[in-house]
Amino acid sequence: MLSLLEQIDSGTLWQSPGGIHPPQIKSLSNTRPIARLPLAQEYVIPVPQLGEQAILAVNIGDLVKKGTPLTQGQSATYLAVHSPTSGILVAVEERASNHASGLPVLSCIIQADGLDTWSLLDSHQDFQPLSNAEMLTRIQAAGIAGLGGAAFPTHIKLNPVSDIELLIINGIECEPYITSDDRLMREYSHDILTGVSIIQQLIGPKRIIFAVEDNKPDAIKAIKKALKRHPINSAQIRVTAVPTKYPSGGEKQLIQMLTGQEVPSGAIPAQLGMLVQNVGTVFAIKEAVLDGKPLIERVVTITGERATTPGNYWLPIGTPIEHVLSLSQTPKKPPQHIIIGGPMMGYILPQASAPIIKGTNCLLLPSDNEMLVEQQEKPCIRCGECAQVCPALLLPQQLFWHAQAKEYDKAASYNLQDCIECGCCSYVCPSDIPLVEYYRVAKSALREQSKDKQEADLAKQRFDARTQRLEEEKTAREAKQQQAASRRKANVTNKDNDVIAAAMARIKAKKDSSPSTQEITAENTAIAHTELAQKTDKKAQIAAALARAKAKKAQMATALNTDITSPEKAQLNANEGAITHIPVTDSPIVDKKAKIAAAVARAKAKKAQMATAQNTDITSPEKTQLNASEGSIAHIPVIDSPIVDKKAKIAAAVAKAKAKKSQMATALNTDITSPEKPQLNASEGSQRSITQTPVIDSPIVDKKAKVAAAVARAKAKKAQTTAAMQPQDRVTTENQTESSSEQTPVTDSLSIERPVLDKKAKIAAAVAKAKAKKAQAQQENKD
Amino acid sequence: MLSGIIFAVIVLTLLALCFGLLLGFAAEKFKVDGDPLTDQVEALLPQTQCGQCGYPGCRPYAEAITAGDKINKCPPGGTATMEKLATLVGVEPEPLNQIEESTIKKVAFIREEECIGCTKCIQACPVDAILGAGKLMHTVISDYCTGCDLCVAPCPVDCIDMIPVKQTTKTWNWQLNSIPVTLLEKEKPC
Repeated sequence: MLSLLEQIDSGTLWQSPGGIHPPQIKSLSNTRPIARLPLAQEYVIPVPQLGEQAILAVNIGDLVKKGTPLTQGQSATYLAVHSPTSGILVAVEERASNHASGLPVLSCIIQADGLDTWSLLDSHQDFQPLSNAEMLTRIQAAGIAGLGGAAFPTHIKLNPVSDIELLIINGIECEPYITSDDRLMREYSHDILTGVSIIQQLIGPKRIIFAVEDNKPDAIKAIKKALKRHPINSAQIRVTAVPTKYPSGGEKQLIQMLTGQEVPSGAIPAQLGMLVQNVGTVFAIKEAVLDGKPLIERVVTITGERATTPGNYWLPIGTPIEHVLSLSQTPKKPPQHIIIGGPMMGYILPQASAPIIKGTNCLLLPSDNEMLVEQQEKPCIRCGECAQVCPALLLPQQLFWHAQAKEYDKAASYNLQDCIECGCCSYVCPSDIPLVEYYRVAKSALREQSKDKQEADLAKQRFDARTQRLEEEKTAREAKQQQAASRRKANVTNKDNDVIAAAMARIKAKKDSSPSTQEITAENTAIAHTELAQKTDKKAQIAAALARAKAKKAQMATALNTDITSPEKAQLNANEGAITHIPVTDSPIVDKKAKIAAAVARAKAKKAQMATAQNTDITSPEKTQLNASEGSIAHIPVIDSPIVDKKAKIAAAVAKAKAKKSQMATALNTDITSPEKPQLNASEGSQRSITQTPVIDSPIVDKKAKVAAAVARAKAKKAQTTAAMQPQDRVTTENQTESSSEQTPVTDSLSIERPVLDKKAKIAAAVAKAKAKKAQAQQENKD
Repeated sequence: MLSGIIFAVIVLTLLALCFGLLLGFAAEKFKVDGDPLTDQVEALLPQTQCGQCGYPGCRPYAEAITAGDKINKCPPGGTATMEKLATLVGVEPEPLNQIEESTIKKVAFIREEECIGCTKCIQACPVDAILGAGKLMHTVISDYCTGCDLCVAPCPVDCIDMIPVKQTTKTWNWQLNSIPVTLLEKEKPC
């Protein structure tokens, strides 16, 4: 039993199933050498043709040379596109594509300058010193795609994972009409063999078969002749003439004819240790590796009875087909079709403005008598001709039934994906059924179905992930809530214990207290309760904060009120008032005793107020104001103390009302300004504030209270100092202050509407104060 | 004679017992969790998660169909899906209860300069296809968008459009006797 390689060496050929023998109309175009057409005005280069994620390498408006790369890309399958001529990149816009759909694709538009100057080419004398990686990089940079029609990136094909034993150079060109490879082999046989030796160095195959159909005797002759002169190892390479049959040029069919092996469904020849390269691609590889020329032009057959000068032409990639037609077509009478590719596998071009692309090997311009474009489809007569000619051994009839009934799944189960769309079945069909069209529809529908399925799977996956996430978030939230609830419960029980402790302390305090020192005891008990309660009770803290805030507010109000008369003093008073009563405010009266203590304190405060009021009546109205404001503030804390029961609340309300009343009264009295004795009053006030601060310090146990006390103390000190300093300035700034406060009517009106405590008033007060300060400063400057 | 009858009765009873035990064991041993039909139904649904059926997603609707709900409540799936469901579940096909959506796939698009960053669309999206954060611009990852429309309504500034997916040469389908697409000549300035 001979091995496969021995059989190949002995020249054995195998049979491939199916196939047809259509009339070969090659002589129409293969008699003339490959020519060139005049340059077009503009070139349209679609980007990217294969491989996504390309970025523009040149700017719009830039001058480009012939061979300048237009795009840059990173992906492995990326293929660069190059400028086919020198000129200006005028636009990147959507243009009709060279595709059966004719849908617009993004394209670079190059305005040719007519000079056709090459960019600097990186050429090599010899390829032997180049490493494989270098050669592959050059091939990729040249943007070489398979020129047989599929346009698969060549650098990937030439970098196979498995070992390649057999390299097949495909010079079959089985499509009727097309002669581009034929002419290329005849004219560039030496260059093609150089390309073959490059691939040989790249992948190191054991045998190389140069397969040419036997209807191209000139090409076979040329290759054989070149082989004798070429330095390539001719022992390894053999030129095989393959009997003419369509579609022997198909990759799988050619392998079957040359080796008798069948490439399994869904597999590639590399899995069998074989590699097939088109002669056009081999030539482009030589150009790229040795001359550094990118793939910017290819041989295109222009043929058909409508063509004036049928033949083969070097057409730059991106040449608009319109331009080609204007030079090589007889005046057309519409509608006449342009077929891209051969008559068997080609498609009708919807837009003549579309460009030549890398995979375009033929422009067929058939006349009406050459090709019946409109064929009447008749019912299938089940003759079975199609099954006999199918090179892929499929059942075209079954596929047709299912495709027609839109049962694409069933068609797929008959291996629709293995159909190579060669068109043999349509060619032999006596009923003129466009079978391949049906298969193409079915294939695209299947492709869409699988894409939809993929998208649905992704959507489901993401939806499930989201649902799970939301669920997790919800449970986490619930757990947190539960935790908080349990913590709250624990706190409540602690508080109850503390209340009991507080009650015990109270009893003790009661026992200790004596009637002679009632005042002090009342205060002490209040303090004691504060201490106890503050340990755990947050409420007290909040209440204290509230009281403080209110005190501040009151301070602001008094400041506003006394702006006209003496602002320093007012500030001082306010501070003092606030400080004096914070301890009372802080006492969180939960139990009755504390309440009583508060009532006592309140009574005391009232008493003191009364007394001072009496005193001030004699001294001066300013002082009255001071006392009054002080008194008014004195009542606020009582109101603020966290009253639990209604009674206390009512009492507080009454107290509040009283405070307001007295305040009103004093305000009326003190409307007339008299700047006498301000210093005395101020110092008096500050002294008071100092004496009263210790009271604040004692009950505060927790940090917050301490901080508040510190702040209060600082304020008191500040007030004191300002009181001490300002009287001197006062004499000079008095007029100014007055005028400035007059200038701000807002302040004035507010001073009349006394209890306005809202933000606006605060802002206005601040503005007035600032103005007063400014004026003062100005006065000082003047002085 | 009588003993023969008794014998037959005994034998049959024993046989019945044996088979009963066997079947009972098999029913326990090879028990299938959940309804396998639900998975099959779900596989047919388009997974847009749009909620137009009245259920919060395709899976709940699949479960409802298995439980006996109507099969004509999926507008994104269209008549084709309804027919497939009818054959699978074994009920008569019914016309869709809503107007069938056009077969053109759409995706949401946020006009980013108008977006105020309210995150309402992000919360509405069933497949987390919208990217963004509070007070920052949002955008739709069009590859993940199912075109379910759910983000359009919550947008307070109406900056979301449903844009048909553009057909490319890769997504183009062969049509029998297709009329070639005509490109209009671009207007040239005089």
